[in-house]
Order: sequence, then structure tokens, then C-alpha cells
Amino acid sequence: MSKVKVIACSGIGKAMGLMAREAALQVTDKLSPDTTETVCLAHIVTGDAEAAKKVEGCTCITVDGCPAMCAAKSVEQAGGSVKAKYRVIDEMRNHKGVDAGTGTALTEDGWQIVDELAGRISEKAAELIKGDLNNG
Amino acid sequence: MDEKQVGVISCSGEECLGGTIARLATRKVMETLRPDNVVTLCLPLYIAGGDEERDFANEYPVISVDACDKCCAKRATIKYSGAVKDSLVLSDLLGEDVVLSKIVSARDLKEEHYKMIDESADEICKRVDRILAE
Repeated sequence: MSKVKVIACSGIGKAMGLMAREAALQVTDKLSPDTTETVCLAHIVTGDAEAAKKVEGCTCITVDGCPAMCAAKSVEQAGGSVKAKYRVIDEMRNHKGVDAGTGTALTEDGWQIVDELAGRISEKAAELIKGDLNNG
Repeated sequence: MDEKQVGVISCSGEECLGGTIARLATRKVMETLRPDNVVTLCLPLYIAGGDEERDFANEYPVISVDACDKCCAKRATIKYSGAVKDSLVLSDLLGEDVVLSKIVSARDLKEEHYKMIDESADEICKRVDRILAE
């Protein structure tokens, strides 16, 4: 079966965009490289047929920074099967008052939140793969 | 808003080093090198119909910064706002092998990568300055 696509918004304006990006990369590069991969959101949103092929009908997890949910919306529009949607802003509610950094660089606390989120995304990806295997 | 504003829109591609360099170079221009004149536009939000990003791109000159020759940021800007004033493709500047490298996380960047970010930021500044001088 194909790898689960973990796709982040990488929003450039805020720390939450960088956190979404780094959480997705932590999953695809370090935690679950054999079962997950990322796809450039910028390519998906161009609407290219080549880009659509990367996600069409595939199991996807999106990671957005803010409530605009750009990654989730764009992946769904491109035909991806979005099975889980994560928002960094929700993570931050569990870390009220924490300075996570900026859109350029994260603080140690920011990286810790990224790692916590990445751990959960990785577990979710494993769960989705197991479900897909069980469903034949 | 100041009349002399330029928007910079970066692809920030997640699949290769070039996306990280594009993102950080754009941030450096906005934060440090030309803070009074440069605004960054969030590409996913721009595509998703963010009014603020699209209004800005319709009214002010925009420079696209892309990692590779797919030129996603440039094509998206042309599609939704009609034109880009200038563009930068990092594979032309740094080489395709470099930008397509799989080192993507900011955690893994080394001194050589920060030099590439500086070089890319300087190229963006040249384009910003040309537009401001018009």
C-alpha cells in the first residue's frame, strides 16, 4: 500500500506555520519514514494533474497552523482522503502562555510542542495503516 | 499602508531543501534586511482565498521565490493575481542538486545552508530594490 501522506501548511507568517511544517517533517523523516511521506502543498494547490496524482485517493493527514485550515482544504479539493486533521493552534491551547518562537525559529518549548504533536501524528498514521490493512 | 511595499511569496515546499531556504530567505528579508518595505504573503492562504493576501497581491508588486523549476509560487500568483513583478528560482541560483536535497527540517541545517539562505535573501533584496527604485 502507498505511504500515508502527511501534509503541512507551512504558513510563513507565524510560529504555528513553522510548527506545523516541522511536525510533519519529524513524522516523515524521523519517526515514520517507512510508512509516511510528505508532499509539497504549494505543488498541490497549483492544481497540476501531476500534483493531484500525488494525493488523489490517498490516505492523508493534514497539519495546519491556524483555523484557516489551508492544508486540509487544499488536500481535500485535490482529491486526497483526509483521515485526520491537526491544528497547531489547538496544541497551543494546552500550552497557554508558552513562547513557541517565531515563523523563523522555534524556542526549546516550541520544539517540544512540535515533538509531542509529531508523536501523535505518527501514532495516528500507524493506526490508519493498520486499519487499511485490516480492511484489505 | 506605505506606498513603497513589495510582497514576497515563497513556495516553502516541504519535499526539498530549497523550500526551506526559500522560506527562511523570505523571512530574513522581511524581518531583517528590508523590514519597512517587504510583506510576506502566505501561499496556502492566498490560494485558499485569503482576502488580505489577494487584495495585497492585486494592489502591490509581488516577487515569487520558488525552490525548483515547477515554480509553484509564481504560477499560483499569476493565476490569482495576473502577474508577478519579478521572480527567483533557487535551483537557478544554487543548483538543482542542492535545492532537491532531502535535508528539509530547520533542525538539520548547517552553516553551509545558512550561507545559501543569506545568498538567496540577497538576491531577493536586489529584486526588491529594483522595484522600489522604479
